[in-house]
Amino acid sequence: MAATLVKPPNSTYTFSSQPKAVQQQQGQRQKFRQPVINQSDENSLFGNIMYDRRVIRGNTYALHTLPAHAQPDPIEVQRQQEAKRRALARRKAREQIRTKTPDPVHNRKNIDVQTELYLEELSDRIEEADVDVQTDAFLDRPPSPLFIPQSTGKDICTQIETGDLFDFDLEVKPIVETLVGKTVEQALIEVAEEEELAKIREQQREYEEIRNAELIELQRLEEQERRLRAEKERRMKQAQEALRLEQDAAQKIAARAFAKAYLQDLVPSVFNNLRENGYFYDPVENEIETSFMPWLMNKTMTHVNQLVLGRTILDSIIRDVVNQRIDDYDKLAEALKQTIEGGIDMGTSTGDIVHSSEQNIENLESNHGELNVTMDNNTNEGGEISNGALLNDETDEREEEQTNANEDAGGEQ
Amino acid sequence: MASSTIPTHYPQLVDPTRTPLAFLNRAVPRLNRELQSDNLLLRQRAVRSLCDYLHDPEHMLPCLNEDIPATLLDLLKDTDQFCRLKSAECYYVIASHSIGRQAMLACNVIPCLASLFDDKEPSVRRNAHKAVSMYSEAPPGAQNLIEIHLVDTLLKKLISELDEIKELILNTIHFCLMVDVEQALAADAMSTLTSLLEHPSDKIKTLAALTIFHLSVSLKGKERAVEIGTVNELVALLDSNDDALKSKSALALSIICIITPGKYCTIKAGAIPKLLAMLNKESTELVVNALKVIACIAEAPEGRKKLLESVDQIERYINHRLPNLAKHAQIAAKVIKWMP
Repeated sequence: MAATLVKPPNSTYTFSSQPKAVQQQQGQRQKFRQPVINQSDENSLFGNIMYDRRVIRGNTYALHTLPAHAQPDPIEVQRQQEAKRRALARRKAREQIRTKTPDPVHNRKNIDVQTELYLEELSDRIEEADVDVQTDAFLDRPPSPLFIPQSTGKDICTQIETGDLFDFDLEVKPIVETLVGKTVEQALIEVAEEEELAKIREQQREYEEIRNAELIELQRLEEQERRLRAEKERRMKQAQEALRLEQDAAQKIAARAFAKAYLQDLVPSVFNNLRENGYFYDPVENEIETSFMPWLMNKTMTHVNQLVLGRTILDSIIRDVVNQRIDDYDKLAEALKQTIEGGIDMGTSTGDIVHSSEQNIENLESNHGELNVTMDNNTNEGGEISNGALLNDETDEREEEQTNANEDAGGEQ
Repeated sequence: MASSTIPTHYPQLVDPTRTPLAFLNRAVPRLNRELQSDNLLLRQRAVRSLCDYLHDPEHMLPCLNEDIPATLLDLLKDTDQFCRLKSAECYYVIASHSIGRQAMLACNVIPCLASLFDDKEPSVRRNAHKAVSMYSEAPPGAQNLIEIHLVDTLLKKLISELDEIKELILNTIHFCLMVDVEQALAADAMSTLTSLLEHPSDKIKTLAALTIFHLSVSLKGKERAVEIGTVNELVALLDSNDDALKSKSALALSIICIITPGKYCTIKAGAIPKLLAMLNKESTELVVNALKVIACIAEAPEGRKKLLESVDQIERYINHRLPNLAKHAQIAAKVIKWMP
């Protein structure tokens, strides 16, 4: 493609790389083989900016300080020239290897020909058509259509006859079998699961029935047992109760009888005891005993004491008298003796003396007898308790009189 | 023809509602990651795929190793209804395996599921109840439910919920009661269940009768049942057409009849002729339960008197091929003929 120099009108600049029409890329469909590119055109071609040497690549912080327009290092220049020469040589070699259309034979011209089925008019002039479109106001931009790149490469078509690839019926069999098998298996599993559950429930139900039956039986027997036992207990308790009551009654009766027997002579004995102890007293008698008798006794005692005193006095008197008599008799005896001795002639007087002495003695003895009699009378009187006090006093007085009389009598004698 | 260059777009999704599963053992970690993502759509698709993936028992163990139940816990509280729905369903599938139940126990999932009971969407509630129901079927699960006092909540829900959910709740309660009855009795379950006996649906009545049976295993339950007149309702139910319902009512009656007031209540309500009618049926469960009620009633003197007339009907069954049936027939006959 010819590079037409484009120069912007009225401009002060030139293009470093001239704008030109887009070139077909290497991989895409090229209408014609590209002619050999001269080295001089190399720079005027569009370079890929990625491979443009003028663009600084890489780290810009530690940049090589040599700016672009400084004096190029001669070594660098030489190296670059060397690289260029080598690249050119390589390209030349490649070009030589590439086959070209042979040169035309004498009197013949090479002409471009199309090998397509249908002729296509080729022209350098790119057919242009101007189409303009104006979207409706306020209409949204429709989505961009899907970009499907044109298919490159050669178009080749074939025709597949029946039976070329595979036999559908044969091939589909295992697939369908698998599908159906899997479906049926899944269905079977689900049904089996439900059936299993149903069977388990059935078994559970039967077990429950038996269990319930046994449970009820158990409880019923328990209940029966309990009832019978309770009944028995009740009866036994009743019997025991009856027995106990009987025993109690028997014991009560025995106790009552015994108590009665025991107490039978309790009352009489008690009364006896009481009576013996003087609790039942005739109040008159009691009074007599408590008041009268002591008085009586006192009086009796005094009386008796007096009697005793009297007796004692009498005894002493008698003794005195007797002593005196004795003395007298002694004297008499003496006198007698004397007389006897002195005068036996006085024989008759002894009798008088004797008689007088005997009279004395008889008086004494009769006094004694009277005394005894009176003593007996006194004792008799003393022994009679039932006499009244006055009577007693009288007797005492009589006794006193008699005693006095006796004493007097004694005294007289 | 197709070009040989690798295309730039992903392959078309066959089902846009679920994420495609990664290959082999990469599937679970990827699902786990996607479940935790912030994008709602991703979460929804992941949880849906997970739900289907879990159905295979062989996939259960890797899922549990990756601690998927813990991830699902967060999803349960998600604001989107679909996520909650599907995660509850995932729990339902997990709970149907025993290692899954153990993992659920370890992650303490049940309280979160329980909070879903109050959800506005019925389908979410239903799935939550399904999960809890499945979880309770094994004894350790039921034990756990009892420990966290869920029975109370369930009983309250029983009154106000939809029918199909009621069935699930009754199922759950039924399993919980097999472990421990105290809590339910304390929450006055008997009156709730008695009121449920009047429900139009047969299935619910059957389940209610079964639950009453479990409640009445303890003495307090029996007394309470007699107190509030459950016996009359149950005897009325003996007339119904549904076999299962009849047998379950008979079951409940038989256990209530063990205590003396229960016996007299039943006899007064005129249960004996109905039970004798039940003896002629084919279903063995029905016959067994009828025989048990008869055995219990025969403990009381009045019952024995009335049943003496029908002893030969019972003796027919003594040589039945089912050992269970024969045994109970024998017991019933023996009790009727017993003399003090």
